[in-house]
Amino acid sequence: MSKVMTSKEAVSRFIQDGTFLYIGGYVCRPPFAIIHEIIRQRKKDLTITRSNAADDFDMLIGAGLVKRFIGTFLSLGVYGLGRCYRRSLEKGIPHIVEVEEYTNLSLPMMLMAGAMGMPFVPVRDMLGSDLMNVKSFMGENKYKKIESPFDGSPVLLVPALKPDVAIIHVQQADENGNAQMWGIGGDCQYGANAAAKVIVSCERIVSRETIGKDPSRTIVPAMKVAAVVEEPFGSHPGYTPGFYDVDFSFGYIYQQASNTVEGFEAFLKEWVYDIPDRNVYTQHYIQRFGYGAFKKLAAKFDYSYPVSYAY
Amino acid sequence: MTEHANDYIKPELMACCGAREIQDGDVVIVGTGFPTMSANIAKHLHASGAVMMQESGVIDARPNRPALSVGDPCLNPGAAMIGGLTDIMGMCLQAGLVDVGFLSGSQVDKFGNINTTVIGDYSCPKNRLPGSGGANPIGSLAKRTLIIALHDKRRLAERVDFITTPGYINGPKAREQWGLPSNTGPHCIITNKAVMHFDKETGEAYLVSFHPGSSIEEIKAHTPWELRISKDVHETEPPRDDELKVIREVLDPHRMIKIYEQRGYV
Repeated sequence: MSKVMTSKEAVSRFIQDGTFLYIGGYVCRPPFAIIHEIIRQRKKDLTITRSNAADDFDMLIGAGLVKRFIGTFLSLGVYGLGRCYRRSLEKGIPHIVEVEEYTNLSLPMMLMAGAMGMPFVPVRDMLGSDLMNVKSFMGENKYKKIESPFDGSPVLLVPALKPDVAIIHVQQADENGNAQMWGIGGDCQYGANAAAKVIVSCERIVSRETIGKDPSRTIVPAMKVAAVVEEPFGSHPGYTPGFYDVDFSFGYIYQQASNTVEGFEAFLKEWVYDIPDRNVYTQHYIQRFGYGAFKKLAAKFDYSYPVSYAY
Repeated sequence: MTEHANDYIKPELMACCGAREIQDGDVVIVGTGFPTMSANIAKHLHASGAVMMQESGVIDARPNRPALSVGDPCLNPGAAMIGGLTDIMGMCLQAGLVDVGFLSGSQVDKFGNINTTVIGDYSCPKNRLPGSGGANPIGSLAKRTLIIALHDKRRLAERVDFITTPGYINGPKAREQWGLPSNTGPHCIITNKAVMHFDKETGEAYLVSFHPGSSIEEIKAHTPWELRISKDVHETEPPRDDELKVIREVLDPHRMIKIYEQRGYV
């Protein structure tokens, strides 16, 4: 059964106000086409999570759609601190996001636990830091410090995370949702598999036969996937290995725009609200910056040796 | 006779200070900027057996330009292994395989505690910063943490506003009492004026060397705690010609390192 649909349909069917969302990707493969669609459909009171959050999280927070953020970090990378994130926490604009803070060890492990059906997982970080002293909406369930039942040493237990929906962007998937990814993984595989449902955005839809030529690259099996959306250029201004480069110039445009509330609103109008879908987004990009700029982002090809699974 | 050029910039000197702390065979977690530069200098000169990794999932990357983030596209082609966060932070770092971690902080205190979370009160922040990311686990679990900081009374502190990443917390034995592995912790602070090491007895940073153009008095004046001075204190060795050659000809031909001058590393 084909699960192929548009971003518009996937977001309206599977994401509601209040949904707990895992969002994959950090610079590498952020699912921006879906994120823009969430903003267009004004899905509110979201809880969002990922280790190493970036411009995509900043944008959702600035758009006023986020109630809670389970995170470790949020910045615009070379462009510094997340402007919308800072405005939210420092000035309550548009409102204060509730933040539960972990680390790039503990949060991926919590997603791993969620993916594996483990109720919690022991970790060896956070001990002795003020991350133990700040608790938000998870309260006493943020962590438990116990003595190891095996050797008595102090150990931290952190709970499994089980998001309602994961949105990820990958290189290719078949119409059933077998999703294949290569390059920097972040916490994408466990994040996707921890969720009850997955929306897979991909650069191209391929046949089941193509998936079967290199099945070790599949990170989410079709049975977990609710929707497959073909969105070429779908992670811009992030990159997708083998398809296009990260767009540093656009990152600068976002930084400059998001310096002020007015600039941020104008950015959303130009790149999200006035744009119906990713095709028009790409056309608008080309009109705005020229075909040369668009073409310049295209990846060069440097193929691996073909692999064979034959016996 | 070792040759020293005199046209180096401070970020190059700091990168060399970092490189000199890395030993052959070390497993090093790097982020971006100085750390990658330092680890690469070491790898080209005295530590060809060092192995570098990025928390995002990359081992032994072969980028053709300096990486601008741990997710940078240039880290993908040529790497020895690419996985995800649990592979690096779990399978390598938490498993105890990482010798050296590099961290920088908006605020660093005398015990090597680092704040990258908030300036002011947590619930009513004056300045909200990015948060831990990989910093807390790296500082908790790497055997030697090398800290990069700006040397003034705002960036260095008697006590950080928020311990994002534990150094020696509040003194000797504190790490062990909290349950952090016993052979871990901050090794040095490299600033734009000096190199400080940590006294294992007290957990406090003390002055080991002052950079050319700086002085012990100036450094004491810009350090907010009663800075103890090593009896072997000396001037920091300037970048050697072979170190600068690696930086300028191999690692960073476009001199991207100059952006750190704009960030105050002068």
